[in-house]
Amino acid sequence: MLNKLALSGIKHRMRDYTVLFSGLMIASAIFYMFMSLATNQAFLSSNSPAAATSFIFGFGIVLLAIITIVYVNYANTFLLSMRQKEYGMFMMLGAKSSKISRMIFIETFAIGAISTIIGTLIGIVATGFVSRWLIGMLDMQVKHFSSFYLPALIWTFVFFIVIFMFSAIRNSVSLRRTKVLTLLNRDSQPVKIKRNGVLKAVQAVLGLILLAIGYFTMWFSGNNPGAIYLGIPVALVTIVGGTYLTINSFVTAVILMLKRRVNYSQKGLNNFTLSQLSFRINDYTKILSMVSIMFALALGAITVGLGFNNQIDNVVNGQNYYDVQVTNPDAAQQKRLKDLNIDKKVVYNYKTDGKKVYYRTSEFKKQPIGYSQINVKTMQSKLGTTSDIKKNSNAQYELMNTRLPETRGMQTEFVSDQDYNAINSKETSTVLIKTNSFKDNLSEIKAISKAEIKSYPALKNAGGDKYSAYTLINGFFSGLEFMGFFLGIAFLAMLASCLMFKILSGANGDVKRYNMLYKIGTKQKMLRATINKEIAVLFAVPAILGIIHVLIGLQLFVKLLYKPYMNIEIPFAIFIVLYLGYYFLTRYLYKKIVLK
Amino acid sequence: MEKIVEVQNVEKIYGKAGEKQFKALSDVNFEVKPGEFVGIMGASGSGKTTLLNILSTLDTPTSGQVEIAGQDITKLNNNQMADFRANKIGFIFQDFNLLENLTAYENIALPLALQNKPVKSIKPSVMSIAEKLGLTDILNHYPTELSGGQKQRVAAARALVHQPSIVFGDEPTGALDSKSARALLDTLTKINREDNVSILLVTHDPFSASFCDRILFIKDGEIGQELKKEDATRAEYYQEILDSLGTFAE
Ligand SMILES: Nc1ncnc2c1ncn2[C@@H]1O[C@H](COP(=O)(O)OP(=O)(O)OP(=O)(O)O)[C@@H](O)[C@H]1O
Ligand SMILES: [Mg+2]
Repeated sequence: MLNKLALSGIKHRMRDYTVLFSGLMIASAIFYMFMSLATNQAFLSSNSPAAATSFIFGFGIVLLAIITIVYVNYANTFLLSMRQKEYGMFMMLGAKSSKISRMIFIETFAIGAISTIIGTLIGIVATGFVSRWLIGMLDMQVKHFSSFYLPALIWTFVFFIVIFMFSAIRNSVSLRRTKVLTLLNRDSQPVKIKRNGVLKAVQAVLGLILLAIGYFTMWFSGNNPGAIYLGIPVALVTIVGGTYLTINSFVTAVILMLKRRVNYSQKGLNNFTLSQLSFRINDYTKILSMVSIMFALALGAITVGLGFNNQIDNVVNGQNYYDVQVTNPDAAQQKRLKDLNIDKKVVYNYKTDGKKVYYRTSEFKKQPIGYSQINVKTMQSKLGTTSDIKKNSNAQYELMNTRLPETRGMQTEFVSDQDYNAINSKETSTVLIKTNSFKDNLSEIKAISKAEIKSYPALKNAGGDKYSAYTLINGFFSGLEFMGFFLGIAFLAMLASCLMFKILSGANGDVKRYNMLYKIGTKQKMLRATINKEIAVLFAVPAILGIIHVLIGLQLFVKLLYKPYMNIEIPFAIFIVLYLGYYFLTRYLYKKIVLK
Repeated sequence: MEKIVEVQNVEKIYGKAGEKQFKALSDVNFEVKPGEFVGIMGASGSGKTTLLNILSTLDTPTSGQVEIAGQDITKLNNNQMADFRANKIGFIFQDFNLLENLTAYENIALPLALQNKPVKSIKPSVMSIAEKLGLTDILNHYPTELSGGQKQRVAAARALVHQPSIVFGDEPTGALDSKSARALLDTLTKINREDNVSILLVTHDPFSASFCDRILFIKDGEIGQELKKEDATRAEYYQEILDSLGTFAE
């Protein structure tokens, strides 16, 4: 009988359960996605040259595990907040508490098991999808990666079974311990409102000081690489502490200030929104701090990942001046060249007698040759052009690599037109093209390079052109970039779902409030607006802090990466779009629960 | 004389056509004059809450007309209904329904803020109603720091602060002990007399009902009987109510 009642209770709250299930499925899906990378040693070692990778992923697993536990904990609170009244009622009607606690145990565990199984399946599909998307979008080369990876599957199952076991035990114990009356009246439990101005002020100042120390440390250890081993732990501790204190005090202070400004607060539902927030912030400090730190780490991972991508550009463009080089182009190749967006084009001819290679000096006078020059100290490259090639060894080196492999080892001579004409051998012509941007013309360049290798198979191993340098370097950095992206997206999805759940778990308690506001004549539009505002603030606070953390945190990489701030808007935009998606989802679900 | 509330041939049927239907109100007719204190009594399930929800635009009648303060409220759209509730109606609920994260003052001020009243006018309005209801000392308290009686008086202040045409109460004394209930009813009577506010009270309780000028008895969705106080004292009226309830129940 009771089981039947409990089941019918679930039916009536289908919408809430849908939220719960989808949330838990997201959690296990993300966990699987992450594990499919992190536990795949072959993938890690073949895609990253750095020994630190395993360590970074180990660290990532620990962090993700912590977030997941917190997350399941919130989801669990959400479940309890839905069910306790009903179970309280059963108990009031005389159901034994041992029976009730067994029921909640089974319910929690069943929900966990079902959502984990489905979630992992989603995870496998999503992993395939995301990896293909990333590889396609960023022209990556990733080895030893497959979306289905058994050890990851096992780890995910074991991990979730263990935490749901704990949740189920916790729920059943907590139901058994709580008095029936408390269960029935949970919604109207008094809310302690702490008002301690001095303490808050001290916290605010301390929080800002800690943040300042953390930021300084990151800047300092980025610019003095030796300090990094002490710098990172110090920064981590101070920033976590500073974030917590700042949110706890500073944000509350701002809300109080707004409340005191009667002209603002006494308009419409502003005062209600502010009160909801100030009461929430107390309760949310921990999660908001966690979200802002995670936000920073995730955004940082993507930004640094993309930083490696910029690195590719930098290194590749430093290799060769010309983007394309073709030898004796045939009609088809000529046609391909036409598709390029050409900035500069030169044609040099040479003859060889089997020992030496001869060019005409006059050709270089007429068409100066471009070359790249790497400063060994800074590892920065510089591009230049010269018409006096005899005196420029960089230009000579560049020229040498434009020839077919079999003549590259020969000595190069620059001779007068007369002498050149006297040489009795076949002439070879080299077309060199610099496009407006190597990256933008990548697909055409790729086609040309392929056709070139087809005509001259020796080029396959010898390389020398920019495209083959690109494939080499891209392969080297892609793994790192892929990991950064994957790490970042997994973290973001997790932390945003965490925040979403925390907010939704308060929704059941809000139903009464919004209903009352509705009854005394608040328009639906206004109710929706106040919900939007409230949730927007809860999402914005950690995001803003997180973005500041990242902007300053990138200082850690100034010596490691070429221009870490370059193209920073791309990862930020990706991130903000995903995060906004979560915001809209949350406020949609919240309204579904709270409003009629 | 004009009427504050005029209800004509109101019928309410729950359940869609084709499904199982239930007639909660049938052919209800009555009116409330300005300054009247009217009670509605009836057994559980007789349709009291249904009637009150219709009067307060929270629900719409299946057929019939309801005019409040000269306006046909059955013809309003959702936004107009919300405005109507915010401007013309005050509510007192059985379970207080205060917002526990706002202070008493802020709770009372809420309807004025909702109407976007000039900020300067809010404080005087709140203070004046708070004084009338004896709440001046507890305005900065949060609801959890108040007793049940105090909470209900705060709720009453919130219902009255914007000077509505009529105040509706659904069992407002239902959750109060007899002393607090009496204090609340005394206050409502005083406001009803002094400020000429019309009040419509739904109640089970003959004692609460004895504060009214007139009582409508509702049974199975129909108004069966009306009992006027006229010149009777409250004690006499109380006895009359008990007698009526006895006969009415048969
Ligand atoms: N939403 C609804 N759908 C179907 N029937 C309803 C609905 N609301 C109320 N009823 C029915 O209408 C009748 C009148 O209900 P109402 O709530 O008005 O009674 P009441 O007089 O307020 O009772 P009480 O004194 O117990 O509060 C009841 O029989 C009830 O079952
Ligand atoms: Mg009722």
